[in-house]
Amino acid sequence: MKIEGTHKIAAPRERIFTALTDPAVLQRCIPGCEQMEKTGENKYSAKLTAGVGPVKGVFTATVSLQDIVAPEHYKLVVEGKGQPGFVKGFGDLNLKDADGATEIQYTGEVNVGGLIASVGQRMIQSAANLLASRFFKSLEAETASGSPISSTGT
Amino acid sequence: MEKTVGKPIKRTEDPRLIQGLAHYVDDIRLPDTLHAAFLRSIYAHARIKSIDTTAAEKLPGVVAVYTGKDTAKIGPVPCAAALPDLKVPDHRPLAGNKVYFVGHPVAVVVAETKSAARDAVDLIEVDYEELPVALDEEKAADAKSPVIHEQFGTNVAYKLTAGEGDIEAALKSADKVIKQRILHKRLAPIAMEPRGVLARYYPGEQELTLWTSTQIPHLCRTQVAIMIGMPENKLRLITPEVGGGFGSKLNVYAEEALMGWISMQLNRPVKWIEGRRENMQATIHGRGQTGYIEIGFKKDGTLTGLRYNVFADMGSYFQLLTPAIPTLTGLMLSGCYKIPAIQINVTGVFTNKMSTDAYRGAGRPEATYVVERALDLVAAELGKDPVEVRRKNFPQPDEFPFKTATGLFYDSGNYQGALDKAMKMADYTRLRDEQKTARKEGRLMGIGVSTYVEICALGPSSAMPAGGWESATVRVEPTGKVTVLTGASPHGQGEETSFAQIAADELGVGVNDVTVIHGDTAIVQYGIGTFGSRGLAVGGVAVYMAIQKLKDKAAKIAAHVLQCEKASFVDGKFCADGKGGGKAPEPVVPVGQAPAGALPEPHTGGKTLTMQDIALEAHVAKNLPADMEPGLSATAFYEPKNFTFPFGTHIAVVDIDPDTGEIQFQRYVAVDDCGKQINPMLVEGQVHGGIVQSMGQALYEEVVYDETGQLVTGTLIDYALPKAVMIPHLELGSTETPSPVNPLGAKGVGEAGTIGSTPAIVAAVVDALAPYGIRHLDMPIKPEVVWQIIKNGPKKNSAGAA
Repeated sequence: MKIEGTHKIAAPRERIFTALTDPAVLQRCIPGCEQMEKTGENKYSAKLTAGVGPVKGVFTATVSLQDIVAPEHYKLVVEGKGQPGFVKGFGDLNLKDADGATEIQYTGEVNVGGLIASVGQRMIQSAANLLASRFFKSLEAETASGSPISSTGT
Repeated sequence: MEKTVGKPIKRTEDPRLIQGLAHYVDDIRLPDTLHAAFLRSIYAHARIKSIDTTAAEKLPGVVAVYTGKDTAKIGPVPCAAALPDLKVPDHRPLAGNKVYFVGHPVAVVVAETKSAARDAVDLIEVDYEELPVALDEEKAADAKSPVIHEQFGTNVAYKLTAGEGDIEAALKSADKVIKQRILHKRLAPIAMEPRGVLARYYPGEQELTLWTSTQIPHLCRTQVAIMIGMPENKLRLITPEVGGGFGSKLNVYAEEALMGWISMQLNRPVKWIEGRRENMQATIHGRGQTGYIEIGFKKDGTLTGLRYNVFADMGSYFQLLTPAIPTLTGLMLSGCYKIPAIQINVTGVFTNKMSTDAYRGAGRPEATYVVERALDLVAAELGKDPVEVRRKNFPQPDEFPFKTATGLFYDSGNYQGALDKAMKMADYTRLRDEQKTARKEGRLMGIGVSTYVEICALGPSSAMPAGGWESATVRVEPTGKVTVLTGASPHGQGEETSFAQIAADELGVGVNDVTVIHGDTAIVQYGIGTFGSRGLAVGGVAVYMAIQKLKDKAAKIAAHVLQCEKASFVDGKFCADGKGGGKAPEPVVPVGQAPAGALPEPHTGGKTLTMQDIALEAHVAKNLPADMEPGLSATAFYEPKNFTFPFGTHIAVVDIDPDTGEIQFQRYVAVDDCGKQINPMLVEGQVHGGIVQSMGQALYEEVVYDETGQLVTGTLIDYALPKAVMIPHLELGSTETPSPVNPLGAKGVGEAGTIGSTPAIVAAVVDALAPYGIRHLDMPIKPEVVWQIIKNGPKKNSAGAA
C-alpha cells in the first residue's frame, strides 16, 4: 500500500531536518511510540502501541534512517512485529524551502500482515493518513516552539 | 399406500434444524474436553528460523503445545488425485521449516479452555525470515518466478493435454477464430458451519472416535487412520449434522488427524472449532484459473474447434483432489454442442496461497463458463442471436448417447426442449423487443442465455480416485419399520427425505416408517460420500438396489407363507401369484402359545401379506422356507456404468443503472433437467442455492490476496457473499429426460445452479453493455467496472474490446 503527502511547517528547513533525525523528537511525535533507543548508527529500536479499528497491540520495531542528505532528504525504514501481526514500511522524506516555511514531501509504502491484514486492511489507508497527520502536527509543535531541539529528550 | 416419489414432500430433517435441536460437532459436549487453537502463519512465504513456545506453555490452563517437530511422525495430508508426472509436495499437518501461505498452521495449543488456548497462541514467538512470493498462477509458472517448493525447481506441478480431434486443422478450417483471455477468480465456499473436530481416545479399548464435519466419513476415516498409524477399524468416525460443505468438506484436513493424535497423546477428549477467519484462510478455496480460449467457427455459426490453455492455481499444497479439478474442466469443454475437435492444455501451478479444491461444480462451472462465453463471442462476431448459434450446434435428441471430443458419452438429452421451455417462460421474443425499446430510450437492459450440460453422479469407479460406487443397507425391522443405512453422507441435500421416499414406495410403507441413518462408520457399511451431485443418482440407486434384493427374499417368504409358487408385490402387498395361490395358511405361532413378551403374532391368515407381516415372519423365523436365513436385510454396492449428464437453460435479464453502474436483476428464469425427480421441492431447493452462489461468483465474490500474499478478504465484512436483498425472484421450470444409466432415471441436481447460471448472468451484463462495444467482462462484474465503461462512452471501449 502506498502512502504519500505533503505537509508545510513554518520553521526553517535545517531546524526541521534536525528534529526529524532526532530519536527523542521522533519518539514524541510518532503516535503511540513509547520508547526509542539507539542501537547503532542511525538505527533504533522502538516500542509502539498501534492499531486499526478493533485490532490493537504493542509492536516492537526497528527504525533506521538511510540515505541521509542533510537538510534535504532521508529514508525512514520501519519494521515492526507484535501480537496483531507485522508492519513494514519505508518512507522517503524530501524537504524544500517554501516562502520561509518548509515543505515536507513524503512517499512510501506500507505492508502489513497477520490479524491487521485480515481484519483491518480496508481501514489501513485512512489509518495511515491519520497517523501521518498527527505526526506532522506534533512535529510542528516541536519545531515552532522556539525552544532548542534537544537530542536527549525529556 | 399412496406413492410419494415425484411429490414435493416436506423435508423430514427440517423440524430439528429449524428448532435448533440438531447436533453439530460443537454441540457435542464431553466431560473433561480440552480445546485446541492454532497458530497460523502471518506470512505467505517464509523460513521458520525458530519457534519459542516457553511462554505459551507457562500460561495457566495450557496443557500442551505442539509444533511441526513434535508432529513430524503424523503422515502427510493426502492427495488422492493421480496424474502423470505430478509433483506432490510433502504436506505435513504442521509447518516444518517453511510456511507457504497465510494461514499455514505452525503450532497448536491445547488448553483447559478455549480462551486459554487462544491467549497462549499469542505468546508463541516465531522468528520468520521472509521469502519472495509467487502468487499469480500465470506468473508463478514462469521460470523467473520465486520457487515455492525448492526440491521441484519450478512452480509447475503438472502439465496435461487432453481432448480428441485434430485441433490445429479444426481451427485452420474455420472461417474465423476468436481468442479470449478469461478469469475464474478464487472463491471461498463459506459453509454456514465452519469445520470442527472432536476426538476422544479410549486407551483401554485402544479406540479412537472422531466427530468431524465432513462429506466423506469413510474415506476420511481410512485416511486419518493411515496418517496417525492406527488400525482403520479402531477408528470410528462420526459426522453429526453438517452445516453445509459445498465441496469444502470433501477433504481430509490436517486438523482432523491432529485432533485424533492429540487425544491419544493426552488421553482426553480434544475439540477444535474453526473460526470464520480460519475458515477463510485455511479451508480450501474453489476455482482459480486463468485461461485462454480459441474458438473456431464457420460463417453460419457451426463450431469447428475449441482450444483452452489454462493456468490452474493449486495453492501451495495439494488437498484431497486439488490437481484433479481442472481435469473435470477438460472433460466438459464440449458443453452441449457438437465440437469436432477440442483440446485443453492445463498447467497446474503452485502459488503461496491456500489450496484450491472442489467447490460446488468443481471444474465444471469453469468449463461451462468457457464454452458459453465462447458461444456468445461467436454470436456477437456474426451478429446473430445467441440462441441461434446454440441451436445450430446442439445434438438432436435422437443422437444420444452422444459422443464428445472430450471422450465422454452423454447419456440422454433434449437441449432444444429445455431451451424452448425457458424461452417460453421468459417470453424471449418480447424481451428482445423490450430491449430494443429500452436502447432507444437510453436504458441499459441485457439478456443472457446459457444452455449447459454437466457431468454428475460421479461416477464410474474407473474415473474416480477412490471408487465411484455407493452403498446401502436396507432392513425391515421386526415391527415393520424400515431402516436405511446409506454410505452417502448427506449434509443438507435432504436425502433423509428422498431416500425414505424411495424406500417407502418400494416397500409399501409410509415415509415416516423409514429412518435413514448415515455418517457413522461404526454403524454404516463403507461408503463414499455426498459430492459431485451423486447423493441420489448413486446413493439413492444403491438404496433402490438393496431393496430389490430384500424384496426377492421377502417374496420367497411370502410365497412360502401363502403356500404358492410365487408371490408378487402389488400395491404394497404380497399376493399369491398363479395357480398355487389364494389358500389361507396356518398361523406360524398357534394363538395363545407365544411366550410372554414375545413379538406379536404374524398376521398370516389373509390372502395378502404386507412387508410388516413378512418382516415379522423373517425375524420370528418359525415358518421360513428350508435353508433360508432369518432376518430381512440386504446390502447393495452400486457401481454406475456411466456418468449422468443433466442439462438446462438459464436466462438472466438485467437492468443497469447508468449513473452508478449497479446491476439489478429484472428476471431470472431457469429450466433444469435432472432426469427423473424424486422430490421436486428438493430439486428446487438445490437449484435455488446453486443460482444464489452463482450470482455471488458473477457479481460479488472473489478471494483477494494482496501483492505480498496477505489475505485481504479475511472476514465476511470483506468477502462479498450475496445477501437476500440482492437476489431476485427465481422463476424455475423443469423438463424430465430420464437417464438410462440407472433404474431411477435420476441424474443429480446439486451443482446445476452454479454451473448453468454464471454464464447467463455475465452474458446479460455484457449484453446490456453491448452498445458500449463490450463483448466480455471478467467476474465478478462490480459496479465500478460497469460505471467506468459507461463513463468511457461507446468509442473508447470498442477500441479496447476483445
